[in-house]
Amino acid sequence: MEKKLGVYICKGCNIADTVEIEKLQEVATKEKQIPVCKTHDALCGTEGLELIKNDISGEGVNTVVVAACSPRVKFREFSFPGNLVERINLREFVAWSQEPKTEDTQALAEDYMRMGIVKAQKGDFPEPFMLEETDKSVLVVGGGITGLTSALGVADAGYKAIVVEKSPELGGWAAKMYKQLPQSYPFESLEEPTVKSVAERVISHDNIKVYTSSEVEKIVGFPGQYDVAIKTAGGTEQEKAGSIIMAAGWRPYDAGKLEHLGYGKNPNVITNVQMEEMASSGKITRPSDGKEAKRVAFIQCAGSRDANHLPYCSSFCCLTSLKQAAYVREKNPDAIAYVLYKDIRTPGQYELFYQSMQNDPGVMLTKGEVTGVSEASGGDLLVNVKDTLLGEDVSIEADLVVLATGMVPNTKIEQDVLAEWKKKFDEQLTASGGKPDPNAALEPHKVPNILKLDYKQGPELPGLDEAYGFADSNYICFQYETLRTGIYAAGSVRQPMNMLQSIEDALGASMKAIQCIEATANGYAVHPRAWDQTYPEVNLNKCTSCKRCTEECPFGAIEEDEKGTPFHKMTRCRRCGTCLGSCPERVINFKDFSIDMISSMFKTMDVPDEGLRLLGLVCENDAYPALDAAAMKRQKLPSAIRFVSVRCLGTLNLAWIADALSRGIDGMILLGCKFGENYQCHFVKGSELAQERLGKLQETLGRLMLEPERVELVQLSISDYDKLPEILNEYVEKLDGFEPNPFKEF
Amino acid sequence: MAEATIVKPDLDFVKGVIAAGGESLKKCYQCATCSVVCNVTPDQNPFPRKEMIWAQWGLKDKFKGNPDVWLCQQCNDCTAYCPRGAKPAEVLGAIRKQTIQQYSAPAFLAGLVNNKTFMPVLFLIPAIILLITGGFSIPEGDIVFSNFFPIHTIQFVFTPALLFGLAVGVMGVMKFWKDMKQAAGVTSGDLKGSIIATAKDVISHGKFKDCGVSKDRFLSHFLVFYSFVALAIATGFGVLYIDIFHVMSPFSLFGKGWIVKLFGLAGAAGLLLGVSLMVMNRFKNAAKVGIGSYFDWLLITIIAVVMASGILAYLTRLAGIAGLAYPIYFIHLVFVFSLFVYLPYSKLAHLFYRGTAMCFAKYSGRDKTIDN
Repeated sequence: MEKKLGVYICKGCNIADTVEIEKLQEVATKEKQIPVCKTHDALCGTEGLELIKNDISGEGVNTVVVAACSPRVKFREFSFPGNLVERINLREFVAWSQEPKTEDTQALAEDYMRMGIVKAQKGDFPEPFMLEETDKSVLVVGGGITGLTSALGVADAGYKAIVVEKSPELGGWAAKMYKQLPQSYPFESLEEPTVKSVAERVISHDNIKVYTSSEVEKIVGFPGQYDVAIKTAGGTEQEKAGSIIMAAGWRPYDAGKLEHLGYGKNPNVITNVQMEEMASSGKITRPSDGKEAKRVAFIQCAGSRDANHLPYCSSFCCLTSLKQAAYVREKNPDAIAYVLYKDIRTPGQYELFYQSMQNDPGVMLTKGEVTGVSEASGGDLLVNVKDTLLGEDVSIEADLVVLATGMVPNTKIEQDVLAEWKKKFDEQLTASGGKPDPNAALEPHKVPNILKLDYKQGPELPGLDEAYGFADSNYICFQYETLRTGIYAAGSVRQPMNMLQSIEDALGASMKAIQCIEATANGYAVHPRAWDQTYPEVNLNKCTSCKRCTEECPFGAIEEDEKGTPFHKMTRCRRCGTCLGSCPERVINFKDFSIDMISSMFKTMDVPDEGLRLLGLVCENDAYPALDAAAMKRQKLPSAIRFVSVRCLGTLNLAWIADALSRGIDGMILLGCKFGENYQCHFVKGSELAQERLGKLQETLGRLMLEPERVELVQLSISDYDKLPEILNEYVEKLDGFEPNPFKEF
Repeated sequence: MAEATIVKPDLDFVKGVIAAGGESLKKCYQCATCSVVCNVTPDQNPFPRKEMIWAQWGLKDKFKGNPDVWLCQQCNDCTAYCPRGAKPAEVLGAIRKQTIQQYSAPAFLAGLVNNKTFMPVLFLIPAIILLITGGFSIPEGDIVFSNFFPIHTIQFVFTPALLFGLAVGVMGVMKFWKDMKQAAGVTSGDLKGSIIATAKDVISHGKFKDCGVSKDRFLSHFLVFYSFVALAIATGFGVLYIDIFHVMSPFSLFGKGWIVKLFGLAGAAGLLLGVSLMVMNRFKNAAKVGIGSYFDWLLITIIAVVMASGILAYLTRLAGIAGLAYPIYFIHLVFVFSLFVYLPYSKLAHLFYRGTAMCFAKYSGRDKTIDN
């Protein structure tokens, strides 16, 4: 479609007090030859918007350049469906953060005008990626309380759900309970388990198909079109799904490793899972002689929050022990239940349950460290505890000791299984003529386990080391999202959690699964760029099959054909642009975001012979809002830096730096997210990838006689806005110390 | 861990403390705010935090020979600041009641005194004793109480009652002292100095000024305490006049034995004021610290009835209303008898145990007010 630009400059919010509007207009009309350029005192008001709308309908303007406030605000006002909109941030980046009416400020604003106009010129109308057909069913892997609740969430919203459960019965751990924790206010008394009625609803629901005694055999495809092979008792069944909820649940930590607490040595030391079975079957007794257990000691954090076992808190064990203490007290009013804890952790409203159990005269609680469990005469056990609240080290006589063991997610591959797979993997490699690398560790997600995805990047969800094998990806911003688009993890496979939390989680995941299906059906990206209809377009003619994009794509969206040429499975893509940054041949581009577009923006800047000219490449997710926040607080930002927003620092293509520096721009600062697994990056490790790419650049810069320090990457949190002026001023000061870029003269 | 103590919780003790007014006992989560705000606890091993968990766990033995529960003067600062509503002051009160039962023999009598259900029995017993010993017919003519209940009968009945109360108390205190020495591992100390320092504390009521929330208690307790002292003096002079000088009651301010009347009236007035203040304070602070337990109110009731019946008997006698004066006087006798005989079992036992604990704290060096 032929583009016709209209440029609209707002004079409100201090903009006209800071810069000369006429000169900005001249940039548009004289320099860039834009025929339509108008100003208004308050562009976001009815009258200003009317002005733009009239030009759209009357003048044929279809590309609207709004030079006003930050694109992060007033996006509803400046939305003109069917037209391209480009926002130039004159308010935050100029009016609110620069000295008014100085030469430098005027130059900055004019550069922003040039860059914005060029960006609008280079952009194109999106043409959404549409699948021929989108399957609107959701595959739910796991039939425990989370899976069942998810399936109901999906089904009640009018979509089809397919539940695959490994065991013959639905209900998972929740079905094995004697009683369950209260699920509503006042959170005081135990309830009869409700999971059976949930399972019954699932079985009788018209929109839900249930496979028990079944496992996923293979999943081929992508969001919108998954082909699922299900191995059942009677053979393999085929199903189709548009998205997937993984609710594969957990297994208890292996108490066999807790010999120091007496497990395996004395039959009267049992786990919380065994306690649940015992309570269900009737009396609470000593396994050794069947006598009634009148003194029951619960040892909390048995193998949890312990570097030698599970380093994390499973968050449910304290509640379970308190619940089981209630069993002990309910079955015999003269019995005593001891709960020995490192810290009592009963998340959320369950504080009320803790309080009600604490109030029971026969429940004795103390903080302390259990140093061991020994045997006393008459079959009694002695639990030795130090650093107790009783003010001394004590030994507690008990008939029965219950170890409150934690959760291990079913996604966690144990070391021995991993080693076995590594062996098999190496044997295959040797057989096929390759040479195994003795140092190469096999990543856990390469071992088929639950989903068995037919993805080049491996059959399972890649986890984070810091998530201890849980299927968690970015717990700061996006729960449920995994590193595989369209696959949502919920319940205790995602994070340790109790039943109530699992139910909430399940509903959240079912909503995400539906959103994914609808977004895919309508050609939109999924979270976090849910408005985005563009997608990476690859000029395969120039692709050298270097596979860098396949390696770097955080979401496993790029596969390779037989010849090794990469191609996108587009509905798996989240449009972060990491592939665009990775490509040395610069063949990957978006309609509204391309290597040429950003380079052209750099090239249109006015670079005078005298004076610093710097670029700031800014992550749109965290660094850009931080800049806006600094401006809103009226912090002064250096006028030498022109900020350019990118989808993620992972989009950094080295061509941009070469283009900028060869234009005579003195340096470039990259503002991105913090590194590391506990990351904030929406796209996993964009700024880390950028840093890696910079490593390759340093040498080139040295050869050009340019100091490598001219390009600097800063790790920033969204809340670091108050530190920005200092960071930026220091950078400018550093660049002041260098000679001007020698390429200015060319 | 060889030296670790084997804990032996006693569930009945926990239930006992809860029943004795420590309903909030189990709420404590050991944050120690109570020990921090307490102005009277020693710095080392402060109370009432540790007492709270001992009681929660039913570690009855820990309270054997524990002076700390008696060093608390129930000012309720801890209760006012407790973030969990665990009311340590009330719990300590309940524990004190439990220890009274432990030390004041026979235990069944202690149980009787502190059980709400048996309250009528409590006053029926002295009533019957008095009925048996006194015989009962309302005398004709001028109202003279000694015609109704002869002075010597009173001496015959009340002296043993008082001696009984004192003896039980002293015996309990001796056992308590021994246990305290054993628990603290203290073998020697400055006993005389400790007694003198304790007496000074009691006479000056100085410790009351350390408290925050219930500051007003100083005046009420001071009044009640010294009113009883005045009444004791009056009684002493009474005995002197009647038995030695053979001056028979009633006494008059303007005749022989005026000193008996003077102390008697002063004591009555002081009690009236003091008891009224006590009741008012309790209601005033109820929202912050609770209204108190049966244990507290039993003692307040006995004292209040002793005071009211004493004053009313006096007034109705002066007014010449024999039909009222004699019955009221009878009630007066019943409650005074109760005061004496239940002395070591009711809250009044704090006379013994608190005094002894204060003394022991000084003796053992836990309270640093005297140099050992």
